[in-house]
Amino acid sequence: MLPAASRSDHHPLVRKLESIFTLTDDERQAVLDLPMQVAVIEEDQDIVREGNRPSRSFAILNGFTCTYKMTGDGKRQIVAFCIPGDMPDVQSLHLKVLDISVATLTKCSVGFVTHEALWDLCMRHPRITAAFWRETLVEGAAFREWILNVGRREAYHRMAHILCELLVRLRAVALAEDHVCDLPITQVEFADALGISTVHVNRVLQELRADGLIETKGTRLIIPDWERLKQAGDFDETYLHLKQGGAAA
Amino acid sequence: MTLTLQPVQVATGAEEEDMLLFDRDQRLLAVLVQLSPENEVAPGQWYLEVGFGRLSELSHPTFADLSAVEDWVNQRSRVGRSRW
Repeated sequence: MLPAASRSDHHPLVRKLESIFTLTDDERQAVLDLPMQVAVIEEDQDIVREGNRPSRSFAILNGFTCTYKMTGDGKRQIVAFCIPGDMPDVQSLHLKVLDISVATLTKCSVGFVTHEALWDLCMRHPRITAAFWRETLVEGAAFREWILNVGRREAYHRMAHILCELLVRLRAVALAEDHVCDLPITQVEFADALGISTVHVNRVLQELRADGLIETKGTRLIIPDWERLKQAGDFDETYLHLKQGGAAA
Repeated sequence: MTLTLQPVQVATGAEEEDMLLFDRDQRLLAVLVQLSPENEVAPGQWYLEVGFGRLSELSHPTFADLSAVEDWVNQRSRVGRSRW
């Protein structure tokens, strides 16, 4: 199965890099020429696990994944949701032992690239190296924001914040239109990401619906009043450091 | 452990009757909320809204009925004894 589409600017990794800076033709071609082994993985499967020593990294081409850690007695904390174009374990290029696990939330198509090929790409294209470096810094900024969100915001605002973040990130890779996106994340997964119970997730979602801040149809999320949701989520997208404007642009 | 219940209304937005749970020394152990039949996650079940001491629980379990709550509390108390 080929990634997303035949048009090169639709390749998720190209689209992701293009959300940071405009690639030259050479750079775009080098990304497209990466020897990528594409695999389709069913939902709720680990792609990599904490403790692994991978010799390759992967890009998400299609579908949603989460990065998580577990307590000793088996409680899961989701520390990030990853979307097409993301490379959740690119850190393994430098850090030999993984300190995170990555699991699919939906059926996913992922492209594995050997570390050797990634090193080669980085050596030949310093701007792409810089982009990967920048991505890990932005990831760090997002983790800091999540600590603030989970540690200090009330559940209602916490949920509003995470929905704002997901919409802005999905828009940056052309997976949201205006204020509508497909968001196949379950209430159990939101609970594990927000550090609250599933019952409480359900309550705050119902409150957000009742307040007219969100509408849901199946896995479709519609945000009728973006400004109010942003206000409820105390959301300022600066920490995502996107090249382009966010959802309000 | 001898447990006692006292009906209460908790301001969670639902109309159902909720419960305060006390131990034999009349110390408050937990506030339990009965979820409405329309709840999307655990309709009609009892939800540990907040627990104290050994029942302070990050995962906030739900229970089919109040006897399941009692079993869980007794189990937690045994765990507590063996730990100390």
